[in-house]
Formats: sequence, C-alpha cells, structure tokens
Amino acid sequence: MSYYLLLSALLFAIGLFGVLSRRTAILIFMSIELMLNAANLAFVAFARGSGQLDGQVMALVVIALAAAEVAVGLGIIVAVFRARSSTSVDDLAELRG
Amino acid sequence: MSAFDLIAGVLLVASALAAVTLKNAVHAGLALVGNFLVLATVYFALEAQFLGWIQIIVYAGAVMVLFLFVIMLLFDAKADVGLDPLPWLRPVGAALAAGFFLVLAYAYSGLGPVHPLADIKLAGGLPAAIGERLYGPWLFVVLLIAVLLFAATLAAVVLVQPGVRGARKKPQVLERERELEEVGR
Amino acid sequence: MLLLLIVLLPLLGFVFLGLFGKRLREPAPGVLASVLVGLSFLLVVTSLLGGGASWEIADWLPGIPFSFVLDPLSGYMGLVVTGIGFLIHVYAIGYMHGDAGFSRFFAYLNFFIAMMMTLVLAGSYPVMFIGWEGVGLASFLLIGFWYTERKNADSARKAFITNRIGDLGFLLGMALLYSLFGTLSIGELREAIETSAVLPLALGTAGLLLFVGAVGKSAQVPLMVWLPDAMAGPTPVSALIHAATMVTAGVYLIARSSFLYANLQDVSYAIAVIGLVTAAYGALSALGQWDIKKIVAYSTISQLGYMFLAVGVGAYWIAMFHVMTHAFYKALLFMASGSVIHALGGEQDVRKMGGLKKHLPRTHLHGLLGALSLAGFPLLAGFWSKDAIITATLSYPFGGTGFYVAGLAVAFLTAVYAMRWYALVFLGEYKGDAHPHEAPPVMTLPNDVLAVGAVLAGFLALPEPLWNLIEPFLAPALAHVEVHHLALALEWGLIALSALVALAGLYLGYLAFTRGPLPAWYRAFQTWSSEAFYVDRVYNVLIVGPLKELALVLALFDGFLDTLFTAAAGSSAWLGERLVRLQSGYVRAYGALMVLGLVAVLVWGVLR
Repeated sequence: MSYYLLLSALLFAIGLFGVLSRRTAILIFMSIELMLNAANLAFVAFARGSGQLDGQVMALVVIALAAAEVAVGLGIIVAVFRARSSTSVDDLAELRG
Repeated sequence: MSAFDLIAGVLLVASALAAVTLKNAVHAGLALVGNFLVLATVYFALEAQFLGWIQIIVYAGAVMVLFLFVIMLLFDAKADVGLDPLPWLRPVGAALAAGFFLVLAYAYSGLGPVHPLADIKLAGGLPAAIGERLYGPWLFVVLLIAVLLFAATLAAVVLVQPGVRGARKKPQVLERERELEEVGR
Repeated sequence: MLLLLIVLLPLLGFVFLGLFGKRLREPAPGVLASVLVGLSFLLVVTSLLGGGASWEIADWLPGIPFSFVLDPLSGYMGLVVTGIGFLIHVYAIGYMHGDAGFSRFFAYLNFFIAMMMTLVLAGSYPVMFIGWEGVGLASFLLIGFWYTERKNADSARKAFITNRIGDLGFLLGMALLYSLFGTLSIGELREAIETSAVLPLALGTAGLLLFVGAVGKSAQVPLMVWLPDAMAGPTPVSALIHAATMVTAGVYLIARSSFLYANLQDVSYAIAVIGLVTAAYGALSALGQWDIKKIVAYSTISQLGYMFLAVGVGAYWIAMFHVMTHAFYKALLFMASGSVIHALGGEQDVRKMGGLKKHLPRTHLHGLLGALSLAGFPLLAGFWSKDAIITATLSYPFGGTGFYVAGLAVAFLTAVYAMRWYALVFLGEYKGDAHPHEAPPVMTLPNDVLAVGAVLAGFLALPEPLWNLIEPFLAPALAHVEVHHLALALEWGLIALSALVALAGLYLGYLAFTRGPLPAWYRAFQTWSSEAFYVDRVYNVLIVGPLKELALVLALFDGFLDTLFTAAAGSSAWLGERLVRLQSGYVRAYGALMVLGLVAVLVWGVLR
C-alpha cells in the first residue's frame, strides 16, 4: 500500500507542477484533473490497506464531483475566451498592485 | 511489489509527465487519457472493480472527451507557446512540487503495516458491496451529489449562452466602435 | 481686588487690541490704550491712599504663593510706571500716526505695562520673574516693531538673547534661595533673613546671581550691548521701555531685595563697582555718538550705572529717587528727540541737525530742560538725585572717597555730553534739507508734563535740613541701613561743588561744540567713542562667532538625525515597493505562492 501512496504523492506533485507551469487555462485544468486522480488513488490504496469500503465510496464521490467541476469550469473557460479571445492565463492580470 | 505494480507505476508517471509537459494540447490530453486508463487497471488490482469501470466510463470516456471538445472548439491546440512572462515559474514550480512530494513521503513513512490479504472484506469492490455503503451510511452524500450535478448542468448551460450573458466590452472599445460607425455612415 | 485690575486692565487692552484692533480706526486704539493705563495709574493712587493692598493665591506652586503686594516701594514704582506710561501712550498716538501697525503698537504697549506692573507688584519672586520675562518679550516685540527691516529684527533678537543671559542668573538665584529657605515669597524671605542670627554661606551666591539678572535687564557692563541697538524701535518705545521703566527693573529688583543685599558686603561692593564702570562707559561713549537717540541711549546706560552705584553703597531709597527723576528727564529727552525726528521726516543723524531752536520752539524748550536736568543743573531734578548718590558714596566705608571722585568726574562728563546733544541739535545753523515743523499738541502736551516733572521732581527729597518726603515713605519697604550723616556745612559745601562741576561741564560743552573744529586728540577719542569702544566687535569675535560655529556643527548633527529618520521612514517605503511586486496580477505567481504556503504548513504539521 505504501507504494501506491507514494505513487499518488508523486502524481499529485506532477500535477502541481503542471498547474504552476502551464499557461493555457485548459491545460491547467487538465493538471488539476491529474491531481484529483492522484487523490483518488490514495483513497483506494487506503481502502485496500484498511479493509474498509469507505475509501472507494469517497473516490466515487470525488469522480462525480470532478465531472461536475469540469462541466462548469469548461463553461467558464469558454466564456472567458469569448470575452478576451485568448486563453492564456497571464492575460488575466488586472488585479495587479 | 509485483511486476504489475512496477509497470503500472512507470506508465502512470510517464503519462503524467507527458500530460504536463507536451506543448500540443491534444497530445497532452491524449496522454492524460492514457494515464486514466492505467489508473483504472490499478483500481482493478486494488480490488475496486466498480470504481475502475466508473473511472473508464466517466473520466476517460466523458471528462476527457469534453476536454478535447473544448480544445478543438477554441482552436487551442498550439496554445502553450509564445513568450513566457514568468520564466522563473518552471524551475520554482518544479522545486515546490518536489518539496511537496518529499513532505508527503515523509508523512507516509510513519504509517503502520498493511492488513494481510486474507482479512480484507472489500468483496472486490463490486457494485453490490459499494451499493450497500452508498445507500446506507452515505445516502446523504448521494443526494447531495445529485443536487450538485444538477446545479453544474444548469451552470454550464447558462455560462455558454451567447446573447443572455454577452461579454461586456470595455468603454474604450465601445467608444471606438461608435466612432467607426460614425465614420462608416 | 483693585490690585488685580491694575494688571488686568492693560492686559485686557492687549488682548482686545490684539484681536480687534485692526477694525478700529485711528486714533481709537491709542485712546483706548491710554485710558486703560490712566485707569491703572488712578488705581495705584487709590490703593496707596488706602494704605496699601495685597492679593494672594496661596500654594500656587508648592510652597510659593502667587501674590501681588502694594507697599510703599511697589506703589512708588507703580506710580512712575503707570504715570509716565500714560504720558508716553498719549504721545505715541501722535508719533505713530499713519503707521500701518498702529493698533498692534498699542496692544504691545499695553502688554508691556501689564507685565511691568506684574513685576512691580509681585509679592514673590516667581511672579516677578513672570513680569520680568514678559517685559523682555514686550521689549523684543516693540524693538522689532518694524520687523520688515532686517536690522530691527536683529536688534530685537540681540536684546532678547542678552536679557536671557541675565535671566539665567535670576532663575539660578531663585532656585538657590528656594533651596536655602524653602520659600520665595518676598515677605517671608525678608523675615527669615532679617531675624536669623547666622546666615547661610550660599546667600552671597544667591545675591550675586540675582544681580546677574539685573545686569542683563538694566544694561550694565558687560551685558549693556543691547541697549544702543534697541533704539531701532519707535521712539515712544525707547522712552518708555529703555529709559523710564524696563531698564530700571534691575534696580527695582535689588531694592526689593535690599534685605538680602544689606547683609552681603562683598556682593554690594561688586554692584557698586560695576555701576561705576557702567556709568563711566556710558558717559564716554555718549560723547562720540552721531545718532540723536544713541546719545540718549548711552546716557541711559550711564545713569543706570549711577543707580547701581547707589544700591551698591546701600543707599536704596536714593536709587529709587534717581529712578523717578531719571524717568522724567530721560523720557523727556527721548520724546523731544522723537519730536525732532518726526519734524525732520525721519532724520536721526545729528550732523544733519542744528539750529532747530527757531523752527521747533516748544520742542526746543523740552530738549533744553531735559538736557539741563540730565546734566545736573542746580535746582533741577537731576541735580538733586545725582548729588544724593555721590554724597552717599562718601560715607561708604570701603573706598568711598574713590567712588565719590569717580562719580563726580562722570557727572562732569555727563554735563559735557548733555550740552553736546543740545548744542548739536538746537544751536547753530540747520544743516539738513528737510522742512522742520513743530509737533502736534498730542505730542507736545505730554512733554510739557514731563518737563514740569524734570524740573520740579527733585524737590521731593532735599538734603538736610530741608524736607525729605521719599526716604521715610520708602523706609518700611527697604532694608534699614545705618547712614552716616555728614556735617551740615560739609554737605552743603559738597552740593555747591557738584553744582560748580555741572556748570563747568555745561560751559565747557558749550564752548567746545558751538565753536570751530575740535582738537585732534579729541577727534581720535571720538572715533573710539562712536564705536562704543568696539565692545560689540570683541563680543562678536569672542562669543558670537564661536557660538555660531557651534550651531553649524550641531546643525550637522541635526541633519544627520534627520537623515536617519528619513531613512527609517524610507525603509518602510522601500519595503513596500519590494512587496508590491508580489501583486503582479499573474495568477500563476499567486498559485506558486499558495503552494509555497501549503508546503510550509505541511512541513510544520508533519514535523510536530
């Protein structure tokens, strides 16, 4: 189990790196999905390790949540694109000090 | 650690790295699909069969498809190119991610040993078992998810309405358009 | 209660004229100010006739009451201050006619009278100090009245700073007295000193310190340098403050503290010596001045020296007598000078005057009487009081003869320069180009009153066996000093001698300054005298220059401190500027920061 836990941590870290280094909204979103899946892996590994099904149930909830989130998030991305004709996150820099 | 674990691990990491580094968005999306599929096999190995199928159907089959649809819609395939205003973010991000991993690894190292396979009552993660949990103690959560999905659907539909939620143009832009109209007349 | 009004009325005048004076048209401010001072005068008279008065707030400061006391001495001085003050107020209505600061002038004059009366009526030293400082401030304001001229502002500052040196002495003296006796009320101190058998050793120091204060305020050597420059103020100011009243405050202080000085032989000797030196210095410098007011100013320094000579030898009532006669004839001289200046449209150089006897008959009469009184012409006021002083020095046990001879010599010089003043201004032919016109009645009438005083005031206190009204009147308030009365014949013989000396001086002066060119030795002396023997330059080199250098060095330190503080403040601005860059607007950067925070929190959580 700890192998899968470490694997999930690694995947999460890779996803984190992706969120920080990608410049397009869509690709950032994909990295976020990666992070969610890494968390799911951790849940399932723990479920396996402790012999209880609750971990898997939680992972199921997360998948449903992710689906909803993707729907809304992509809608937002499309709307922003329509307003600015650009998906680069760096263009959304008006809250500067 | 069996051979399967090893191969699955390598594939997962490789596809994840591909997903976060490839310049072409479609290629990155496909890499991510591959990642999800391997993840599904891992779920099967970890006695979460229902979850594995759901992973394939929902995540790889619906969510990623949605992603690819939007990429195509916005002609965003070659989007991650051009001048990077924050070049320091790549190395710093890598360092932060590495740091994060190390902390988590350290946390995990303090965990106790795993139950031997014989004691596990996962029942393979089959729908029947999951269903008992879902409609038992987790019923409230199921209801909430239903509401959530409904709300998400509504939101998505509303967000992409062209006329109802039109983009507000900047006053300078409106001004300019008015001027151009005058000139055109 | 009436006693308070004496101080409060002019003070109210000051406040009222200060706030609303601009709205009043001439001559209303002047009339109001004069009326208030006149009322103060009447109140002093009333209180004196009522046998004196006192008013007190006990325990104003720990152990020190705030008290006003009208006893013979303060009443006498109060009469001089308010009486002559009233006349000068009236005169100023005419003199300051047309000036843009008319109401401000009278506000300041009233303030001066209020502070002077505080000084005079004070029943405890701190109250006197309040008045002391107040008149110093009034003097500063009035000397620099026409402040747009740099010279006037500088003179005012010089006066104030020189006074300040004296004030330090006064403060230290007060502190010493308080530590010795635990009280600063004059009445209590008097009792304590007169009734105690053994006096503390430090008493001499206290007396000396108080005298230092008097040296500053009354322009004695070495702090006399401010008085000639104070002539930059309008003439009524010179008449009131720098002749009749403020400069005599030092004499008043010593007289008030006579119970102290009567026991301090050494300090009194020092006072007498300094008084004599000052008298000589003033007389010698007056002989060479070319400014009509500066001649009179140095004369004031000289006469003040006489007053201190008197208190030094223990003749306190004689000093006060001289204060009064001097107030009359010196104010008269100043105001006559003012009339002359006014007549000539502002000319003050004596070399451009002369022959004004024909053009300004009334003023000429005033000037003549004032000069004669100053010189000690027999039977005039100045004669009696000056003679009383130098006669008193004869019976002084420590070198009285020396003081007598020196005093007589200076009296001779006084007559010479008085005649010089008169001759250069009024005799001969007019050398200027203005059109002299006589002053208006509002200016000549007060001078008439002063002239009467300058002539007759001396008759209040005549030598034995004639009447003496002043000595017994002041006696209760002054220390009792054993007086050697000289044999009658000797006394009147000496009086005749003084008269001869004065007449000789006047005659010599007449000869010298109305005839042709003066001998070379005199002209050399005159150059020295006109620069007042270069005392100012010596002070500049020895004291003022080094102090200015010190100030520059300290200013460097100050600048350094400023830089330090600006840097400290600037550092927070610098920090802010650096931190602002975090607000770049880039979401990814914010995300990176969030992850950084997350990792930090995790580390902390995991390590706990």
